[in-house]
Amino acid sequence: MTALDRIPRGARGVAILGIVVGLVGLELALPPLQVQAAAVPVVLGLAAAACAIWALTREERKLGIWALLVAVVATAFAIWVQGKSDTSTSLVVNSGLFAATLVYATPLAYGALGGIFCERAGVVNIGLEGMMLTGAFFGIWGTVWSGHWAIGLVVAMLAGALVALVHAVFSIHLRADQIVTGTAINFLAVGVTGYAFIDIYGSNGTPPSIDSVPSITLPGIESIPGIGGVFGSLNLMIWVVFVLLVVTHLLLFRTPIGLRIRSVGEHPRAADTVGIPVYRIRYACVMLSGVLAALGGAYLSVGFVGSFGQNMTVGRGFIALAAVIFGKWRPYGAFGACLLFGFASGLADRLQSVAGVSPNLLATLPYVLTLIALVGLVGRSRPPAADGQPYVKG
Amino acid sequence: MPDAPLLELRGITKRFGDLVANDGVDLEVAQGEVHALLGENGAGKSTLMNVLYGLTSPDAGEIRFDGKPLRLRSPRDAIDAGIGMVHQHFMLIPVMTVTENIVLAAEPREGPLLDYGKAHDIVRDLSDRYGLAVRPDERIESIGVAQQQRVEILKALYRSARLLVLDEPTAVLTPQETSELFTVIRSLREQGTSIIFITHKLNEVLEIADRITVLRRGKVMATVATTGTDERRLAELMVGRSVQRVEKGAAQPGEPLLSVRDLVVHDSRGLEAVRGASFDVRAGEIVGLAGVDGNGQSELVEAITGLVKPAAGTVVADGHDIGGHGARASFEAGVGHIPEDRQRRGLVLDFTLAENLNLRNVRRRPISRFGILDPRAIAERARRLLGEYDVRGGGPGTRARALSGGNQQKVVIAREMSGTQRILVASQPTRGLDVGAIEFVHKRLLAVRELGAAILLVSFELDEILALSDRILVMYEGRIVAEHGSDVSESVLGLEMMGGGSAAAV
Repeated sequence: MTALDRIPRGARGVAILGIVVGLVGLELALPPLQVQAAAVPVVLGLAAAACAIWALTREERKLGIWALLVAVVATAFAIWVQGKSDTSTSLVVNSGLFAATLVYATPLAYGALGGIFCERAGVVNIGLEGMMLTGAFFGIWGTVWSGHWAIGLVVAMLAGALVALVHAVFSIHLRADQIVTGTAINFLAVGVTGYAFIDIYGSNGTPPSIDSVPSITLPGIESIPGIGGVFGSLNLMIWVVFVLLVVTHLLLFRTPIGLRIRSVGEHPRAADTVGIPVYRIRYACVMLSGVLAALGGAYLSVGFVGSFGQNMTVGRGFIALAAVIFGKWRPYGAFGACLLFGFASGLADRLQSVAGVSPNLLATLPYVLTLIALVGLVGRSRPPAADGQPYVKG
Repeated sequence: MPDAPLLELRGITKRFGDLVANDGVDLEVAQGEVHALLGENGAGKSTLMNVLYGLTSPDAGEIRFDGKPLRLRSPRDAIDAGIGMVHQHFMLIPVMTVTENIVLAAEPREGPLLDYGKAHDIVRDLSDRYGLAVRPDERIESIGVAQQQRVEILKALYRSARLLVLDEPTAVLTPQETSELFTVIRSLREQGTSIIFITHKLNEVLEIADRITVLRRGKVMATVATTGTDERRLAELMVGRSVQRVEKGAAQPGEPLLSVRDLVVHDSRGLEAVRGASFDVRAGEIVGLAGVDGNGQSELVEAITGLVKPAAGTVVADGHDIGGHGARASFEAGVGHIPEDRQRRGLVLDFTLAENLNLRNVRRRPISRFGILDPRAIAERARRLLGEYDVRGGGPGTRARALSGGNQQKVVIAREMSGTQRILVASQPTRGLDVGAIEFVHKRLLAVRELGAAILLVSFELDEILALSDRILVMYEGRIVAEHGSDVSESVLGLEMMGGGSAAAV
């Protein structure tokens, strides 16, 4: 298969084009370009809508609806922005918002990738939250202990794998209810990290300045308007998640091992009868899931904040799990969900400074947006057929 | 027949607790032989094949393959040795394509990636070589069972199977598909593949097998050459006593009890599945409804038994109009229903037998008084019915799940035919049952007929239709396309079921 074949053709391609055109219309109206002519977003919006309708009439429902939605929302938003004074718009909508989107989305993306591996192999992992929290704590602990962030990340990954191993033993060999086991993992993680945190660092908390994951600055890109503000200087772990995203997709859908993992999640007995080691694959995937979730947690502590606070993941593991479902157990889909959530979080942060709305209300924005998208656009998603079911040999 | 056996099983014994599933089983299969393994449900066929496929390890005994001893720790070992298995319940992944299912766990690679182009070619080549037509890029969930079976066979051939085990391969096939399968089996045999053919259908064994091994209660009763044996002898070996084909006297039909007129029923997708069916079933007769699965039989049955509302037409049972009035109205008008899937629709598997037997009369005295169930009356009635219908393997307090298929079916029949039911709609009443249980069900249906009940028998098994029916209707694409007496030939019916024949709509 050549690279050319990968570009979607026909209705799909047109729908994607519609989405891109709609977004370009919006981007032109935003800082730093701030095109003021209303005709620009309107024309582009109409073009996007035309693409959407063309796709819709040719049986490309899902992407078509997306394109139509983007066309309407982006155009409306662009016109609204044009009517606003420069300062308040640029306070809310600037490249910082998109950078914040990535910052918020990254820990979720690590967790979601972990969740995908786990569930694709047929084990429900509601313990992602606990595994992230474990990673957050042990990442800090390892960094403080060794004085180097890389060691901290390795410690976090080991800790995540260990917690995941507990989940694996209970759900695979002991065939416990995976929801119950996962919930227990979450409580366990809160307790263990909370206790260790107080016991080791006392009431002062973690040391004020620790070695943290560096940001990677791309000199060429940094100076490009718009893009430079977003991608010019990003934390190393954000770049890593991009790589992991592509690798996970290729691994799951283009390699023999991916086919085997999916077969174990869909129909373990069928996998067993062709000689695939079901238990071994499930153990590997659950532990990988723990490693990835822990990295997501460590990104919060070592990568971003530079400290640990009790229960600092505050439900991000659950959002990551929602992103898995939202993205139909596919890496790119789940990442899209993480970006949406990250964008909404970033937007809520920024709106607080300009809008006269209660911050508590704004804090619900990410969840409301996610819900709307989930109900309105994703449609029915089908989990791997054997997800959550223990496999009994013989 | 070639000389040296490809497979030898010697003294295979496997126990599960107190139960001896295989008791010193010996079996030899020669190169290029079709060897039938015949036995009732629970005779130990599946256990033996699980041993042969490395899914369970025997407590004693030896497997020799190609003259060398073979130790099987997992299916992987069996596959590597050249043993392929087509399970009764297909081991295919519904959301994956035909190609993905075939190459799974033995994928052609291109660097670290799966070489989909090559995999596709492999499937094409195999498919052409063995005459097994499949569409490589179709998902399993969107193809029919006959094609799924071909995928399973290709899966084994791709792994260079020299011995192919087919577990009840014809259970899901129409007569035409069965004869296609037999053509494939013959061509495999010519190319030197050995085949173990597991079944409990005697006529198929005689048609396709070179030799037959009969298992009963875990022991080998005999291994016989196909030439020189007959159905009667095989049935005796299988059941351990002589089995008569059920004898039925001439019908003495009375007045029509069930009348269906111009019935139109939509299926779950809203398409017309029954397109204007009209017929009567009279007291004291069995009317057989023949047809290939999916020609509207299920929807017809659901409309008569009140499970779906017909789009048009009437259903009159014993003088009551029951079309579209729900399942209770149908039952109270005297219609009993043996559903085609007894485990999903006939029984609540996790309920006890007493509860299952009384599901239909929870509102009646003495089972309940003023809305309160009386456990003693429930158990009492259950005990009586279990005795009357000879249900074995449990008492009133046993969960339905624990019974064998035959005994589960007896429970369903007991519930549906006890009391004042005068009409019975029996859908696939013997599906998956063994010879002894089939005999029981058939006798029971005939006994009910003698008592003057009207019976509509829906079955994909033409043998069964021909053995029991007084009249036979053929259903094709939602219409009743032919009506015959009981003396019609199987080939005429087979043709009409496929939409052929000259019969005008009745």
